[in-house]
Amino acid sequence: MTSSPVLARVAAGDALAVRECLARYGALVWSIARRFEPGDAEDAVQEIFLDLWKSAARFDPQIASEATFVAMIARRRLIDRRRAHRRRPATEQLAETPIPDTALRPDASLEAAKAARALGQLRPEQRQVLVLSTCHGMSHGEIAAHTGMPLGTVKAHARRGLSSIRAALLGVPEGQS
Amino acid sequence: MPMDPRTEELLVERALRGLDDDEHRELQQRGAEDDDSYDLAAAAILLATTPVEAMPAELANKVLAAAPAGPPSTLVGVVAPTIGKPAPVASLQDQREKQTKRRSSLVPWLAAAACLLVAIGAWLWAGRDGKHTSALPIAEARAELLRSAPDVTTIEWKATDDPAAKGALGDVVWSQTRQLGYMRFRGLAVNDPKQYQYQLWIFDKGRDDKYPVDGGVFDITPSGEVIVPIKAKLAVDEAAMFAVTVERPGGVVVSKRERIVVIAARKS
Repeated sequence: MTSSPVLARVAAGDALAVRECLARYGALVWSIARRFEPGDAEDAVQEIFLDLWKSAARFDPQIASEATFVAMIARRRLIDRRRAHRRRPATEQLAETPIPDTALRPDASLEAAKAARALGQLRPEQRQVLVLSTCHGMSHGEIAAHTGMPLGTVKAHARRGLSSIRAALLGVPEGQS
Repeated sequence: MPMDPRTEELLVERALRGLDDDEHRELQQRGAEDDDSYDLAAAAILLATTPVEAMPAELANKVLAAAPAGPPSTLVGVVAPTIGKPAPVASLQDQREKQTKRRSSLVPWLAAAACLLVAIGAWLWAGRDGKHTSALPIAEARAELLRSAPDVTTIEWKATDDPAAKGALGDVVWSQTRQLGYMRFRGLAVNDPKQYQYQLWIFDKGRDDKYPVDGGVFDITPSGEVIVPIKAKLAVDEAAMFAVTVERPGGVVVSKRERIVVIAARKS
């Protein structure tokens, strides 16, 4: 019994698979888009799904789960939109330090499960920088202004934090290819 | 192999903020453009920390209306984004204009799609009270168990040195009160069921560990992440450990344990 990937069938032009993909990942994409662009999430979602239909053939189930791949495509589009339109993150949502609750959603993918555990093992300031960066799309400068940390410290925390998460996912020492 | 610090820096920056044209070119010259591992790590963090809420139905209809009717190459003028190089955003406006013209011919299809979405929603919702778990897709059934069983535990698999386990990872979830659980794998070697199959064994604290409970035979297919329901042949009083062995097709009654591939032990 398997959770059968749908993206391969999308890439093959299966119209039902397109609908299934939307049913399966629509909520995820919508939620991610709202996090980055609460005021313009609808446009973002439509662009993300256009990218997803186009990128479906690139999905490799041996490298990551579908949900993680979808989240990656969504983040890339949102980052592009932010760079293209010089959008600023909605910092009014960050009144409290957004340290994530690492208790997982029950349907979390393997990568999300590992990432949550690895996040919990980071130093609090590394975790804060990483969440502000990856989940709210804040630049290093914006994070420095928001947290009061020096810019160099923010960059170092972001780099080390993301490298730690990557190493945990791959099961390799940090900094290894 | 240690990664070059500058390459790592570029990959981290691409994952976090995107790259400008010069940085993008530099990453290409370093031959690392196709390394998605940092982007996937950032995506995993986002997945782990984003509360999910349903997409509005009208938006779902709009997305469906713009979906390809055939292979995605029919999406003319849309380019999947590369980090740092904004894709042609104007294409969304083009799509809107095309949608207006196509809308009249799409009405019956949209109605059918809306019905399908409602049906899928009802189907998924029916599982949330725990009464229809067996009718859910396997991933949803696993998620439903995690949501609804107060005693459910999750244990990560540890791979052994067996060649079939190289790179294997995953977890097992088990509810004692429901006598129900699911195994999840990635990286366990794909098997030919005519040559061998995998078999789960549940070591019950109350039983002699010479006689673990048979948890069922299963196969690993090349679909990436695989979820398998646990089918314990006997009631398990207190699961202390789960182990997967390689066995002949159809499984065995008693394993010789010559090839143990993964183990998940509860912390006592």
